[in-house]
Order: sequence, then structure tokens, then C-alpha cells
Amino acid sequence: MRTKTAAAVDVNSRRAVRPVQAKQPNRASKRKGHQHLVALCALGFCLFILGLVHVWLRLQVVHMGYVLSTTTKLQGRLEQENRELKVELASLTSPDRLEAMARRRLGLMPPEKGQVLVLP
Amino acid sequence: MKRALQTSHVRLTVAKILFLTIFLVVGGRAFYLQALQGDRLMRLGQRQHLKEWTVLPKRGGVFDRGGEALALSLEAQSVYARPRRIQDAAKSARDLARVLKISSAEIKERLTSAKPFVWIKRQISPDEAGQIQNLKIEGVGMFHEPHRYYPQGQLAGQVIGFVGRDAEGLEGLELGYNEYIRGETGSSVSERDALGRRVLVEGVEGLQVPAGGDIHLTLDTSIQHLAEKELEASIDKYRAKAGVAIAVEPRTGEILALANYPTFNPNNYSAASPEQRRNRAVTDSFEPGSTFKTIVAAAALEEGIVEKEDLFFCEYGKFSYAGRIIHDTHPHGWLPFSKILQVSSNIGFSKVADKLKKDRFFKYIEKFGFGQVSGIDMPGEAPGLLRRPETWSGIDLATHAFGQGLSATPLQMVMAYAAIANGGFLMRPYVVRRALSPKGEVLVENQPHVVRRVVSERTARLLASMLQDVTTEGGTGKMAKVEGFDVAGKTGTAQKVDLVNGGYDAKKRVASFVGFVPADEPRLVLMVLVDEPQSNVYGGVVAAPVFQNIARGALRHFGVAAQTAEPIAGPVAEADIPLRRAPKRSSQAAFDTGATPDFVGLSLREAVEKARDLNLKVKIHGNGYVVKQSPGPGGRWDENGMLVLNLQG
Repeated sequence: MRTKTAAAVDVNSRRAVRPVQAKQPNRASKRKGHQHLVALCALGFCLFILGLVHVWLRLQVVHMGYVLSTTTKLQGRLEQENRELKVELASLTSPDRLEAMARRRLGLMPPEKGQVLVLP
Repeated sequence: MKRALQTSHVRLTVAKILFLTIFLVVGGRAFYLQALQGDRLMRLGQRQHLKEWTVLPKRGGVFDRGGEALALSLEAQSVYARPRRIQDAAKSARDLARVLKISSAEIKERLTSAKPFVWIKRQISPDEAGQIQNLKIEGVGMFHEPHRYYPQGQLAGQVIGFVGRDAEGLEGLELGYNEYIRGETGSSVSERDALGRRVLVEGVEGLQVPAGGDIHLTLDTSIQHLAEKELEASIDKYRAKAGVAIAVEPRTGEILALANYPTFNPNNYSAASPEQRRNRAVTDSFEPGSTFKTIVAAAALEEGIVEKEDLFFCEYGKFSYAGRIIHDTHPHGWLPFSKILQVSSNIGFSKVADKLKKDRFFKYIEKFGFGQVSGIDMPGEAPGLLRRPETWSGIDLATHAFGQGLSATPLQMVMAYAAIANGGFLMRPYVVRRALSPKGEVLVENQPHVVRRVVSERTARLLASMLQDVTTEGGTGKMAKVEGFDVAGKTGTAQKVDLVNGGYDAKKRVASFVGFVPADEPRLVLMVLVDEPQSNVYGGVVAAPVFQNIARGALRHFGVAAQTAEPIAGPVAEADIPLRRAPKRSSQAAFDTGATPDFVGLSLREAVEKARDLNLKVKIHGNGYVVKQSPGPGGRWDENGMLVLNLQG
């Protein structure tokens, strides 16, 4: 109740002084308010940009995740291919196969006595 | 005015209550979702966008001493089905059967199973995997699984062993070195998109699990192949049951080849019987027979009981000892000690053992490593059977002298001979040189390890010279002779124990030959054992030629120059060609005259043969024909006596 009366009195008193004293501070407060608004807008803009950067970074991370995933898969495939080729190479150069090929295709035979000379 | 204020106050209050209620409802809901249901909802969410990916173990490879791959791992696809999702089991079974070469009835039975998950076929080929993918059958899929390949097939199958479907080593080195080569299985949680693709937003660290290391063996693929081939040929020829061939580097104890017959292909290990998969060289023990006489001879020489030329009366083939009769294959009278080894007289060695006495004899049997495991880095090694001398009956001293009444593995026997070959040191055999981590760090390295000195160098040299006589004319092992090299060795023809009736089987024999070459500077100790040959049973006939062929090939492979000139191949029968000994006198003559022979224009082969005949030291540069020599033809020798030949063309 007390507060209400004081507010009323205050309103009255402001009305009473407005024509004489309110002109100068009002302009200053408007300017100040304007400055606050600009700062707020700047802050909002910064936050917006920050948000955009965050989203962009997040997209980049996801994109890199895809790239990494693809590259890892490619690496795995190449490693597997490399191992397959090693198996194939070892199979193709196995002594058993080489001997059979040398005999069948090239008609080679193990060297006879005296045919092998060890160089000094 | 006042009324207006009151109205606005009421509105404000209503708004406050409204907003407060909304706030409370939203806050309460947020609290419920975040605090009470948070964990559950987080799990549900993660299940949608996170997935656990299994990282398969990367098993290391197995390589021979020259880097030839003997075992490598690949990823293979395995086909599975979720029977509840199968629409048309009969058609799917037919399609799958066509690709996988399994009966459609068998597949259909699996597809109609009540289980939620069934394997159709494990570890299929890439071709089959491609065809299965093209079928696009709902409820049928494929997993990656590690698969072991043995590119050399059956080569050294029993040594390498094999791994099971769960990538764990089951036999051989795959089992023995499993902890170094198996690699770790891991799992990694990463995000996935709506299409189920993996998105590695957290990096690849989770995928990095320690891979298995490689092991590098002491085996030489070429000698291993040769040993397996020659062993098999002999077993076929003499219709034998089984066989073993082991080649060892005597100074280090490195196993160069370890061949078993029957063989098996580790790529298809499930099709092989335990009989085929057994590494007989390490796990089976045999009565050694006459090859054991060398141990008696070593003990007697080392103890100074006999000398090389001491005479023994061989009783003309029949000798009564401890109430039993000992026989020789051929009757002999008085023979020097070296000769009783050459002709392998049981009676002679019974008398030597009798002079040695059982305690001293037993001491040397143990010193040579019999009755205990050699410590080879392979699983399943048997120690053989050796009774303490206190339990020996009267005849046991004599029977032990010719290798009866005890048993030894082929590996123990070859290592005992390696001790004689290297000057008296018993070495620990090993088949893995080193195990390396994927980064190349050495995890395990086997170094030559002397177990103990068994006999003195003098005894070893003396015994080696006596063993050389075994492979010369008049010896039991002359078929082991390698042209151009002195071979030291001993034949063995052991009776086999009759496990049903007791005593020895009348027909079953184990033929063996064990020796080393070149005799004075051994590069190779080789044992050949043929179990139960049918058409001939003697070690000197069945096993010695296998020794000869393997030793010849191995020496060529090592590039060991012949000690004496090999006879030239030609249309003349081998027996007609005398071995051309290096004519030392002509060499001396070449030096005496002071004039250098003319080599210009000769081919490389002709030049080397001429230099060898003249016993000249030559240095060769280039290939083709000799275009220049230093000293020049007719020139004077320098103080080194070295002839330098430059070849071209």
C-alpha cells in the first residue's frame, strides 16, 4: 500500500518537473539506450556469426569424418589387396610350382654332375 | 483509473501464473527427461547414431630365412543368415547352393532353423562373395573374418601348423608363437549416418589395435622343398609308411629343413588326419639302431678306453653275451675299432660298451641329450625313452650299444651328430630366428646356444674321420657319398617293437642315415629316417641316397665349392668316370716354371675348370670370355700367386 502511494506521488512529481528538467537527461538516456541497442545488436550478430562458425565447423567435422571413413576404407582395401598380391606372389614362386614349370614349360632338368661350378 | 489499474494487475497476475505454470510444466518435463530418463534416452539416441565396430585381429606372417612368405593373413567373407527374415527358403537355398557348392537341402535346413542367426559358410573366396552380394537375398549377409593362407601349400606344414577359424594357433609354430603373431581384437564406437555408413568424427584412434608381429624362421624354403621331395620319392620307392628328414646348421643349431611324410596342406587342415598333421621329427621317438653306435664310439674315444686302431674280435657274426646271442649282418673276425664302425658290427660295439661300463656309457648318452627334450621352440617335443642304468639287465649294456632298448626322436639324433660335426658342442636347436613387432622391433631373438660340451675337439675330429670311412668303399653308407665332398655319417637299420606280441617285429624296420658334409668343415648335418620300408629295409640303401640327394642340392644352394673335382657329365656311365682329384703337382709345376698359363679366349666355365685343375687362385671380373689376364700369358707370378681374369661378352 505504501509503495503504491509512493509510486503515485512519484508519477505526480515527475509530471510536475517534466517541462523544466526532463529535456537534457532524456536525450542522453535515448543516446545511451541507442548505444545499448547497438551493442546488443553487435553482440547478437557476433553470437549469430559464432553460431554459424560452430555449425560450419560441425559440418566440416562431419565432412572430414566421411572423408576419413572413406579413406580408412580405401586404406583397408589397399592393404587387403597388397596382402592378396603377396599371397599370390608367394604361391606363384613356390619351389614346387617353379620346378614343375621349369620342367614342363622350359624342359629344364636338375644339373648333372660336373655341370655346376662354384666360382672362386 | 483505479479500476483500470486493478484490471491490469489481475491480468498481470494471470499472466504470471500462466507463465509460471508453463515454466513448471516445461521445467518438470525437462527434469523428467534429463534427470530421470536421461540415461535411458541417451542410450536410445546413441543406439541410433552410434555403432560399435569390431576391429579384426591382424595376424602376423611367417617367413623363411630368405623372406619367402609361408603364412599370411587376409580378410575373408563369411556368409550368415537370419532365418526369420528369409522370405522364400527353398529358392534362397537353391541360389546359395549354386554359388557356395553346398547341397541346397543342407542350406534349406539352416534357413528354416528356429535360431535367430546361422552360419551358411565361413571364409569364402572373393569370387563367391561377389556372387552372394549380387543375389541380394533378404536375411542373408556377410561378415569379414580373418583367414589364414599358406601360399606354399604343404611345404613345412607340420612345422608351421595352422590356425583355427577363431584366428588362434592350433598346432606347430602358429601355436608355439601365437602370443607374438596373433594380434589383438578390438572394437571402436563411432557415429553412423542414416544410411548406416561409418562417420569417423572422433578420428581413427579407436581403430588402432595392436597388430600381430611377423616371425622369421631358420628354414630355407629351397632345402625344405628338396628334402620333402626326396623323402617322398624314397617312401614311394620303398613303399614305406612314413619318414622324416632334418637338416641342421651344426655351428648354430638352426634347423634348415624339417620334412615329414605323410604331409598335409594347412590350407585345408580339417581334411588331414592327426597322423598326417603330426610333426614326427619332434614328437615321435624311435629306437635309433646302429646310428647310436657313434655315441658309443664318442664315449669310448673320449674316455680313452679305445684308440682308432685297437683290434676287436667280431666272433664271425655270432657272440654269446649275458646269456643271449648277438648277431652281425655279415660275419667278421679281427677288426680295428674304426673298421667296426665302418661295417657297423653289433658284436664289436657290444665289446666296446662292455669296456666302457654302463655308468660311463649312460653319462655320455645323457650328455648327448638323449632322454631329455632338446628345447626346440616347437610344441609337443618328446624326450624319448631312456632307462637309468640301475634298471638295465645284463644284456641291456650290449643292446644299448647298437641302439636298442632306448628311444630317441630324430631331432635328438641329428643334434647329437651336430655336436660331433661342430667339434664337440651340443647346441640347442631352434626354428624361429626372430619375432618382430609390426614396427620392426625385435620381440624375441633366438641366438645359437651351447647346451654343453659333450666331447673334446680331438675326439670329435677323430670320430668324424672314422665316420668318413662309413661312406667310402666297404662302408655301409657309401650310397650317401656326395661327389666332390667327403661325407661323414652312419647308417641305421633298427627293428621295430611288436606292440601286440612283445619283443621285436620280424619284418618292420626303421631305416636311417645321419651324417654331415663336408666332413672336415661341415655346413650341414642331415638325418633321414624312413619308417617301415617294404621292398628294402637297410638304412644304407633306403635312407643314404636320400641323404646324398638332399646334401648335394643343399651344398649347391649354399655355393659350397667341391673339395675335389666332380666328374664331367657325359654319355659314359657314372661308374666309369674316376673322380678327378685336383692335380697338385701340375700346379706346383706351373709355379715352378714361373710362367703363367694362357687363359685368354676361354669361357668362364673353361677358365674355372682349368684354374681348378692347375690349383690356381683366381679372381674373376665380369662374364663371358676371358679378354685379359693378370699376370699375362707367360708372365711371372706375383708374390700372392693370384691370377686375375677379366671377362667380357
